[in-house]
Amino acid sequence: MEPKKDKPWKKNLYENNGYEDNYTDENFLKDLKKNYNIREFTFLECFYGVTKVSQEISCVSLFLVIFHDLYVNTIQPQKLLFNSFVFTGFGYIAYIITDTEKIHNVIEDSKTVGVVLLFGYMFSPLLHTLTDSISTDTIFFNTFIILSFHLLLHDYGIDGFLVSKTVSLNCGIFASICLASRLSTTHHAFVLLVISAEVFVLKPLLFEKIWRPWMLIPMTAVTIFFLQNISQLLGSIYIIILTFINVIFPYIFQKLTHKKCTISGPWDEALIEDLNNETNKKFT
Amino acid sequence: MNICLASDFFFPNHGGVEEHIYNLSQCLLARGHKVIIITHSYGNRKGIRYMTNGLKVYYLPIRVFYNQCILPTMICNIPILRNIFIREQIQIVHGHSAFSALAHEAMQVGVLMGLRAIFTDHSLFGFADLSAVVTNKFLQICLAFTNHCICVSHTGKENTVLRARMPASSVSVIPNAVNASQFIPNPRNRASPDTNIITIVIVSRLVYRKGIDLLAGIIPYFKHQRNINFIIAGDGPKRELLEEIREKNNMQDRIQMLGALEHSDVRDVLTCGHIFLNTSLTEAYCMAIVEACSVGLHIVSTKVGGVPEVLPEYLNVILSSPDVRSLILALEETIAKIIRHRKGIIYDNEIVCPYEINQIVSKLYNWTDVAIRTEKVYKKVLDEPEKTLKDIMKTILSRSGFYLYLLVVSLCHLILKFMNWFQPSNQIDICHNYNQRSKEKQKTKL
Repeated sequence: MEPKKDKPWKKNLYENNGYEDNYTDENFLKDLKKNYNIREFTFLECFYGVTKVSQEISCVSLFLVIFHDLYVNTIQPQKLLFNSFVFTGFGYIAYIITDTEKIHNVIEDSKTVGVVLLFGYMFSPLLHTLTDSISTDTIFFNTFIILSFHLLLHDYGIDGFLVSKTVSLNCGIFASICLASRLSTTHHAFVLLVISAEVFVLKPLLFEKIWRPWMLIPMTAVTIFFLQNISQLLGSIYIIILTFINVIFPYIFQKLTHKKCTISGPWDEALIEDLNNETNKKFT
Repeated sequence: MNICLASDFFFPNHGGVEEHIYNLSQCLLARGHKVIIITHSYGNRKGIRYMTNGLKVYYLPIRVFYNQCILPTMICNIPILRNIFIREQIQIVHGHSAFSALAHEAMQVGVLMGLRAIFTDHSLFGFADLSAVVTNKFLQICLAFTNHCICVSHTGKENTVLRARMPASSVSVIPNAVNASQFIPNPRNRASPDTNIITIVIVSRLVYRKGIDLLAGIIPYFKHQRNINFIIAGDGPKRELLEEIREKNNMQDRIQMLGALEHSDVRDVLTCGHIFLNTSLTEAYCMAIVEACSVGLHIVSTKVGGVPEVLPEYLNVILSSPDVRSLILALEETIAKIIRHRKGIIYDNEIVCPYEINQIVSKLYNWTDVAIRTEKVYKKVLDEPEKTLKDIMKTILSRSGFYLYLLVVSLCHLILKFMNWFQPSNQIDICHNYNQRSKEKQKTKL
């Protein structure tokens, strides 16, 4: 049957008498949108974004350096504790400056600190011996895996399938509890736990607010310095990893973005906007 | 023609696909074809059953794996499917629904045995998330076996062509249909015009995909319009949400929640209302609005997927974008129309008589028409040459590029060869056709 050309084909199911069922009009796939609302990133944008990842890697490395120094007894725990308190104090002031509203919370926050320190001190003998019976190799390997998970799940400011603040925080704390059992005294363990709380709990809160890409330079320098002190090899590995993450991966990502092809069209599931949205509230 | 419809979804299950298969098979039977249905066993319902007009249904002894589907092993069911196809002298295997593993297996075995395969797609799929990527890959492989594909709407066709890489010329669009005679209007069931009450009906499974969250945003808006009532039929995980909304807004007396309904009761519920509200977020065809339309209700629906293609606007249909605000505006417009009509102010053709609408719908969508159009597709594929193993493998490679699956196909082929030796087809009894004798008698009488 020849389609009757006098009546144009319409995209509906009730007016196309005379057209074959498998007739394909030139309007076919007219509503198809390719790469709809896709953003092309410049290399600098990618680089700035990825500094957050290398920052977290540096922090984890520094935490491990601190553990190493405690482990081989090259550092006094009291000294470390005092220094960390000083740094935390500065950090807290910076945190308040970013949002002066927070000044009302000072008393509340200091109470929390008190409670955490008290309970931390009370439970550190228990936490110190918690994983005592496990062999050192297992502990180190476990720490490596857990901290990798921490890095993988950490919130770098982008919503994603893998991002989970709680799991990532728990990974960090778990790793420090594992490591604490390798230290010589309960006091050492307590100091390590305090530091882990600073690195994994407080630091992300602060850096979320004040992080600027240039801060990577001092941070990297400090990390490289300490790692070189421990071993040449560690320092070089760290530098290689950092170049890959900061330069090569963003470059590849940026080069390959134009190959991305997402298809959207009328068959997509409609998204529901948030019902508690301001405009909707006014309307209803 | 001897046709086998295969799908995981069939009676005693209820739904769009089941309805489609049943009605299509009845119409094909009436047109003198031999139709059998293959599905998996449902609880106690196993073996061979005969349904209305001698429709033979095989409930195969295969375990349900997930979501009413069998485990897609691709090889385990070859012997039994081969046996059935030979016994029943099947020429065409017609699979239904992309989710049905049994349909894909039956089509694969059928094509490898030299039969023709047709596939009807009832659903739409996105391309965005990971699960879509995986299922689309599988569909590319499975549809490489089919000779022809049928979609229920043009949007569905675009979707299938994109995600399964079928050539557009071998995809037909044949919509679903309704039994308009089962959905005759009955305006007497409604609240009488003097009471000023307007009832909004929702018949749908209460799940996320049906946009129940939108509905939950709409209901509070009508809190203070005391003449607006709701009837909600259907059940599902989102029922609690609606009950909570109902309680929060003190609307217990104005919102009736009926729970799941038998399909035969839907008409009686529909006739109680003035407006039918459909809030689906994605829909290939949307049977519900066609049913409601043929009962003569005003339709307010979201404009998603294939919905805009289904009904013309002059049948009291208003489509809106899928958000709370536009849906409320569309409802307000419809309510204003009904009130104007009650007061006797009528603009030209603003409201069409329900009985007239029923007539129009029955002309637009009826199963006989669907069966005739499907039959055309059957005739067409029977004229096509048989697919050789080489053809099949080539299509799989060109569409999906998935080399590993060639091994599965070859294994299936070898198993079929083995079965041909182990149980030659001339040793399989050919079964008698139901009603054959009485039909012949009728013919001789005539």
